Amino acid sequence: MRSAPIHNFRGNTAIVLVRSPEIGARIKDRCDRLGVKSHVRSTDLDSDTAAIADILVIDIDTADDAMLPWPRGAAPVPVIGLIGSESPGRLAWALAQEIDAFLPVAGLGNLFSAMVIAHEIFARKADRAARDAEQARRRGGRLDVIRAVLSLMQDGRDEALALKQLRAMAMVEQISLEEAAVKLLHDRGLAGGKRA
Amino acid sequence: MTLRLGLMFSTTGSYAALGQSALAGALGAIEALGQRHGHVIAPVVADPGGDIAAYDRIARGLLESGVRHIVGAITSSSRKELIPLLERYGGLLWYPCPYEGFESNDHVVYLGASPNHHVVPVADWIAAQGLRQVYLVGSNYVWGWETLRLARECLVARGLDIVGERFVPLGAVTPDHIIDEIAEQRADCVVDSLIGPSNVSLLRGLDARRTSGADPVQVVSFNQTEADLDDIGTAANGLLAAGSFFEPDAGDDLRTAARRHAPNGRVSSFMATSHAAVEILFAAAQQAGTDDPAAVFRAATAAPVPTVMGDIAIDPVLRHAMLTPKLSIAEQGRFRIVQRADGPIPADPYMTGQPPTPTRASPDPWPNPRPNLRIVS
Repeated sequence: MRSAPIHNFRGNTAIVLVRSPEIGARIKDRCDRLGVKSHVRSTDLDSDTAAIADILVIDIDTADDAMLPWPRGAAPVPVIGLIGSESPGRLAWALAQEIDAFLPVAGLGNLFSAMVIAHEIFARKADRAARDAEQARRRGGRLDVIRAVLSLMQDGRDEALALKQLRAMAMVEQISLEEAAVKLLHDRGLAGGKRA
Repeated sequence: MTLRLGLMFSTTGSYAALGQSALAGALGAIEALGQRHGHVIAPVVADPGGDIAAYDRIARGLLESGVRHIVGAITSSSRKELIPLLERYGGLLWYPCPYEGFESNDHVVYLGASPNHHVVPVADWIAAQGLRQVYLVGSNYVWGWETLRLARECLVARGLDIVGERFVPLGAVTPDHIIDEIAEQRADCVVDSLIGPSNVSLLRGLDARRTSGADPVQVVSFNQTEADLDDIGTAANGLLAAGSFFEPDAGDDLRTAARRHAPNGRVSSFMATSHAAVEILFAAAQQAGTDDPAAVFRAATAAPVPTVMGDIAIDPVLRHAMLTPKLSIAEQGRFRIVQRADGPIPADPYMTGQPPTPTRASPDPWPNPRPNLRIVS
């Protein structure tokens, strides 16, 4: 059984970007009960205010890119989108922003669920981005792996044995195959292997 | 004004004893109010018989006939079954049972204990007793799943070991292999979130072990009340239960209600809370001058309302009652209160009072899912 996701937000700060004072007040009340400090605003979000946020709640009916101090889809904190009108254009905007969780305005009682989901989805996105970056970095190191294998083959091994030896070096050093290739090329003073 | 009030409890079926106790409380309150104020509440009694499908049908009928308030539902499954209908017809459910938390619906008033009223004090008590090895067993639905998840969280945080966890289908007898496993795992404590026949059979099975010389096991429960304590007999001796109300605190109103309306004549937290639900609803409707659910709810939360359980305040945002949790130990068919809070404690249905989990510090809380146990082939 998988453990429960993050579900206690006590001490967090939420920024709530909504025009309607009624919705703002209801979200603030709920945040209070969840131990979350909330700042309700109806204007643009500046980067100083954004810096104190652990989560952002935004009304997707009235929001636009210019209100947010980051490029589209690059929010540094989990974002909950409040759904009001359901117009495809507003939903398209929210999807382009890669909003993490959605909460119907008629269902503000489920704010807690939206917070849990937003945190989890945000964390998974960050994890996926880190994995993608690592894979891209490793793809970039393929040429060095080939160079290192060729270098090892000059000691009289065939390509399979040379690759096996490079793997063994990586395992001993507890580094990736690509990093081992860079190290080997560097140690042998060969072209390619720039140490990171 | 006569207020038509739906009383929807399963007074037949696998957890009938709990429904009978809750119904008796509501009927007792209606009778008592009738003596003081005349015929002010007309009860419409309905028995879903513990059949989850019947809740939809019966509640629809009640709400379509103009009933706007229902006191009822015992299990969380039945409460969740009623919510879509309450939303559709604009009704209000006054829910009088302990539950697992993590809910606050605009059409429900939560009058029973939340996990900070039952799981947390029980976990503190277990730790204080020096018990070490805890086995978890619960009914296989949301109450069992979630109370045991919370129990695990709270007990692990207090340094205890969880040595097993099993679920039993609602209405089924607890199988012997669970009782065997409790002994094999050398558990010194069992958290029992079973209801009905599963609970009775577990306690009898453990009692049979004890009388045949096995090491004693402390059983704790978040939902055992006097409503079905007699069904268990002496096998319940020593059981620790958490609750918002126990029989020793009952005054004349509740004892009269029990005598007149409860088949077993006993006062329980189900009975006391249903009684209080009717008292609060009536006082709020009078205050509001209408039975409109939103107006009644606003009036009910404006100030604490005097009830058989003492003054009850309801949080207007999360819609839960402030309650005074107690711990009791069963002795020869009675509960003896061994601990009680100093006063009413706000419900914390989302358990925000527990130590928080990291958020931004941990961008990926599950970097590499590592199960505690590995499947061995």
